[in-house]
Amino acid sequence: MNRLEIDDVTKVYDAGTNPVAAVKSLDLEIRPGEVVALLGSSGCGKTSTLRMIAGFESVTSGTMRIAGVDVERRPPARRNVAMAFEGYSLYPPMTVRENIGFALAAGGTDAAQIRQRVDDMAGMLEIDGILERYPSSISGGQQQRTSLARALVRDAALHLLDEPMGQLEPQLRTLLRGRIKHFIKERGHTAILVTHDQTEANALADRIAVLEGGELQQYATPGVLRDRPSNLFTGTFIGEPPMNVIEAVPDVEGARVRLRLGEGVALDYAREAFSVPVLQLLESRSHLHLGIRPHAVRLGEGGGAPARVTVNQWLGDQSHIATAFAGATLVAVEHDRVAARVGDVVHVTLAPDALHLFDSDTGVALAHGRELA
Amino acid sequence: MLELDRITKRYGRDTVLDDVSLDVEAGRTLVLFGPSGSGKTVLLRLIAGVVVPDAGYVFVGGEDMHGVAPEMRGIGMAFQNFALFPHLSAYDNIATPLHAKGNGVTAVQRRESVERVARLLKIDHVLGQRPGELSNGQKQRTSLARALVAEPRLLLLDDPLRNVDAKLRFEMRLELPRLLREQGTTVVYVTQDYKEAMALGDRIAVLDAGRVDQVGTPEQVYLRPANRRIATLFGDPAINLLDAQPAIDAEGVHVRLSDQRLALDPGLAHAVGRTCTLGVRPEAIGFGAATDRSAIRVSVEAETPLNEKIVDLVKTLRGREILVSRPAHEPGPAGTDAHLVVTTADALLFDRASGERIVPAADGAVPPTRAEAAA
Repeated sequence: MNRLEIDDVTKVYDAGTNPVAAVKSLDLEIRPGEVVALLGSSGCGKTSTLRMIAGFESVTSGTMRIAGVDVERRPPARRNVAMAFEGYSLYPPMTVRENIGFALAAGGTDAAQIRQRVDDMAGMLEIDGILERYPSSISGGQQQRTSLARALVRDAALHLLDEPMGQLEPQLRTLLRGRIKHFIKERGHTAILVTHDQTEANALADRIAVLEGGELQQYATPGVLRDRPSNLFTGTFIGEPPMNVIEAVPDVEGARVRLRLGEGVALDYAREAFSVPVLQLLESRSHLHLGIRPHAVRLGEGGGAPARVTVNQWLGDQSHIATAFAGATLVAVEHDRVAARVGDVVHVTLAPDALHLFDSDTGVALAHGRELA
Repeated sequence: MLELDRITKRYGRDTVLDDVSLDVEAGRTLVLFGPSGSGKTVLLRLIAGVVVPDAGYVFVGGEDMHGVAPEMRGIGMAFQNFALFPHLSAYDNIATPLHAKGNGVTAVQRRESVERVARLLKIDHVLGQRPGELSNGQKQRTSLARALVAEPRLLLLDDPLRNVDAKLRFEMRLELPRLLREQGTTVVYVTQDYKEAMALGDRIAVLDAGRVDQVGTPEQVYLRPANRRIATLFGDPAINLLDAQPAIDAEGVHVRLSDQRLALDPGLAHAVGRTCTLGVRPEAIGFGAATDRSAIRVSVEAETPLNEKIVDLVKTLRGREILVSRPAHEPGPAGTDAHLVVTTADALLFDRASGERIVPAADGAVPPTRAEAAA
């Protein structure tokens, strides 16, 4: 169990003529036994960060410590990290079994124990049927699981997993995520995974570092990212379907608070629905952006503001309903099959605690549902 | 509008399409769904006329397409890799199909058509830019605009949302059906994403190794899958598959799971004695109290958030793994020891050897289709 500290780390490529800062002043602490995801779209700096931790890339400035020791001068092999990298290929002349057990054998573990651990790992990742085959004769998904098995089977200071499940068959993904999470927690591994897939990050990680343009946007648990996104970027990046965003003009008058939206529609609340700091905030702003999670939108027959259904898509376990609301599109999610037809008028209720308030210019979050009331 | 009649296509010894018959009514969308290698793309190319079938017929608007060149079929296409001309502006890319010799389209009509479709797809402000200057989403819309501009009687879309990010994919999933409806276009849409298939398809054809396993509305495919494989392809997390042996007693047909009796559809009496697989969706399983005598004791192995749902991986005392899913705001298991309550109203029963669904004697009516609901 080891702590990883990333302290003010910057990575600049091609520092000569055309410098590109891939990672900018990154601060990140990963606690012993913690699983952390670096999440972002391509070019956000997540892979550069992982490669610096592994030792494949140098750090332009800043420090990186594993278990309190600065590792900058240590080559990858001496950092005691186990890796499953995309394109970090399997050894072609070795069977799947030999690939998975390779590091254990090199580390002097006895043959019977290796056999047992490889068998257990292969069973967990559903590759027990292909252990005696060679990498060239197995599918992409199986290769990826072999690479993952090879990393997870080791007892290392850190486990680094780069897009570990991107190739996996969708039907297997949720089951394997559950098993892997259970395994990592049981072993007390400290792990960092890099992914562009928020479902994977949410499923596996204790905390998620959201990166964009080389900068850390937010570092928090999946629950906090959902309930208290730090800015519009994280708010709309995480969550499926994405958060609804609508511009509003607040109007605090007497006992009522009105949030004026487009087309003459206003959300009307009692003053008591909001805390004093939020009321002060609303009074001080001429306009702001409202963020509303689709799951927090309530659709009903009466009360609330009218909206016209434009789409009703049933996906088996949930319905996605888009409405034309106040000159914008408002998406609602229901966990049942909903009878609303295209063209129907429904009534939208947005509870005060469903609202996230953002600064219209900077996108920075001002207040969140749970603290509004 | 489109009819495929007993199409077979072989490459060497490989039969990539095996006796495929499908039809699409005018103005409707048919989704071809299946994993890579199932034959979806070959089928699309065959409709377009760039691949010739070894046997069978393609009819478009009642007309046999045998010997009709691709450009004479009145078909529009868009692809997952956009396939835009890099040296042409978005405007000129979209206008290409209108430049065919002798089509009588005037320059003014051309401009009107391009601008109309660009407005529809919200790219009217980037028409002067080249593909290199467009975002992925704009490229994808440009490619779609080019496919739509000539108002084809049939539109073929080959996984057009595959290479765009999750946010845009969601937006397009909402917008596309309206757009296609407004155009009145008949569409064949290829995807590997079951949510896209359910959201966009009036009907879905599920392909496996060159054969059509099932054609039906999203409701039919999800609630009455033809076989076990289809049941696992639709739904996230995937349906739980549990070995089961249906039996019958005074109270009716049932299976046993960890010594608990789970009642099945009374119409499944003919399944008694057969070796089966029971399919239960993760949404149909919940956590109950220890005092509930019908509850199944399990240990909670891992809890993984999935969008606004929470998925629990649990294990029965006999080591069976089960996935349980609930909306994030609903309470979960109290600790690592928990009790499951299984709702079997929508449970599916499959023959274990063949994988075929065992159909109850009176198979409950499938809820109305999207088309019926819209009528």
